[in-house]
Amino acid sequence: MEPNGILIYGELNNDYSIRPVVKQLVTKARDLKEKLWNQRIMVCIIGPRINYENIIYELGQYGADEIVIVCDNRITEYNHNYFPEVFTQIAQKYPPRAILVGATNQGKEIASYCATKLNTGLTADCTDLDIGENNLLLSTRPTFGGQLTADIFCKTFPQMATVQENIFKENKIEHNASAIFNWIDIDKIEKKIETIKSIKKELKSKDLSSAKIIIAGGAGACQNDGFALIYQLAQKLNAAVAGSREAVEKGYITKSQQIGQTGKTVAPTLYIAVGISGANQHLAGIKNSGKIISINKDENAPIFKHSDIALIGDLFEILPELIKNMDT
Amino acid sequence: MNIVVFIKQVPDTNDVKWTQNNNIDRARMDCIMNPVDKQAVEAALRLKEQYDAHTTVITMGPNNATEILKEAIAMGIDEATLLCDSKFAGSDTCATSKVLAAAIKEKYPQTDLILFGQSAIDGETSQTGPSTAVRLNMPFISHVNEITGITDNTVIVNTETETNKCSYKITMPAVLCINNYIYQPRIPRINGYIKSQNYYYKTYNIYELNISEMDTGVKGSPTYVSKVYKTNEQRNCKRIDTKSQDNYINEVVCSIKDVLEN
Repeated sequence: MEPNGILIYGELNNDYSIRPVVKQLVTKARDLKEKLWNQRIMVCIIGPRINYENIIYELGQYGADEIVIVCDNRITEYNHNYFPEVFTQIAQKYPPRAILVGATNQGKEIASYCATKLNTGLTADCTDLDIGENNLLLSTRPTFGGQLTADIFCKTFPQMATVQENIFKENKIEHNASAIFNWIDIDKIEKKIETIKSIKKELKSKDLSSAKIIIAGGAGACQNDGFALIYQLAQKLNAAVAGSREAVEKGYITKSQQIGQTGKTVAPTLYIAVGISGANQHLAGIKNSGKIISINKDENAPIFKHSDIALIGDLFEILPELIKNMDT
Repeated sequence: MNIVVFIKQVPDTNDVKWTQNNNIDRARMDCIMNPVDKQAVEAALRLKEQYDAHTTVITMGPNNATEILKEAIAMGIDEATLLCDSKFAGSDTCATSKVLAAAIKEKYPQTDLILFGQSAIDGETSQTGPSTAVRLNMPFISHVNEITGITDNTVIVNTETETNKCSYKITMPAVLCINNYIYQPRIPRINGYIKSQNYYYKTYNIYELNISEMDTGVKGSPTYVSKVYKTNEQRNCKRIDTKSQDNYINEVVCSIKDVLEN
């Protein structure tokens, strides 16, 4: 069968709602679809037998054409043994030109498995997607610790890419999707991995990868309780708190909140950098952010060149002012 | 029990050198063992001590990649192998995983456990380990930070990701991708150094691994890089001196509210 359309992995949250990265990928796929003679956008969902009407409607609004649903009551949550295989079988049944997967933990696992089984190429953690020469998928991704950017093509079909949450924006149009139900016998898939326990971590702060706003503190915020002000503002904005390596070393945040090459790469809609000078390794972790506002008293701080708004001044004057004004 | 650790030599991306034309100057950059691969070596050494396992490190790379093999031997690894052939050059993760899987199938078929570092600091794809596992029809688990026990044909591991802490029991042979391993990689001792200086490495080329030229290198790689450029992270910055501008706060509050309301 001639490969046709774009297939997206429809990752579900624990409450069986659709993960934001899926809506973002569907939105992006609309641009690609236009350049591919309006080939269809498919979303594959794997889950229990529940009512999928709302999800079908919702995904339609972002531009999906067909929702391929594999449902079975034995499927309650992600399973390492059969999710990658089930998705791969769907990709074989409806061979697409391109496959897009959110670069989440399960998404990465599924994408690696599927690409290998289908003997095709996979570009991980893309920051942009387009249709390039010969109507091939053009994937752009950072490499070399973010210092270089590479444009990558794939010679074989399907062309696969993973994209982190919040790299693309989601927006709705007037559109309806239809549903196709599939049944795959998961008992026939070999099970070599048994989950003994799975504990959801209590997060001190909001999850950085899905936060719309991140407020990060650096060396400047590590004195005179600067982080107390950051947490206060974060609460007002429903934002996640993060920081630089210094902030981890001084104990204001945990290692999992560290941004940069040796920490996390984030892509919030808004990144507020407080008292961060902007070392290269930190900048590598924030450049996909939508808007960057930075506060620093050193007017030559390197972070300013990488910001949209630079507030030159004392964070102990600026933050209280912001906190006060966010109420009104 | 036989353990293989796949390791990679990478340029030190914390200290990037540029040419005048804004290209990466690899010749002037230090090459190191990928940091998280060192954690995988440490994990193998702990299993060696606890279960009397035989440990092997394998790397695919040019001749000077033996530097990291030496380092692993100095740390206490038993055996080291280089997969080296000019035809491997330019392999993407798909082609690389074919070579690594071939090394296991052809030269180390008795392997019970394969360890990888979660990702390499130069490419950062996290794909080579899982892809090799799929080619060998082995189960794989990522983000392993502890290997708690081995019984008969299963291995029990703990993983930690951003959101979850899990334990798994996996049927061997299996592939584990190590990340944030709970023990620090050991520093080689003097005896290790001496051993590593005199160690004789095995080297296998494309024919010895029984790989077709079409399956590896540039020919065997489905992906190709069409353009590489220095990342431009600079933005059009609006600079506000908060001391001399009184009404700056409104503008900032507005742009924050824009985000909150959309």
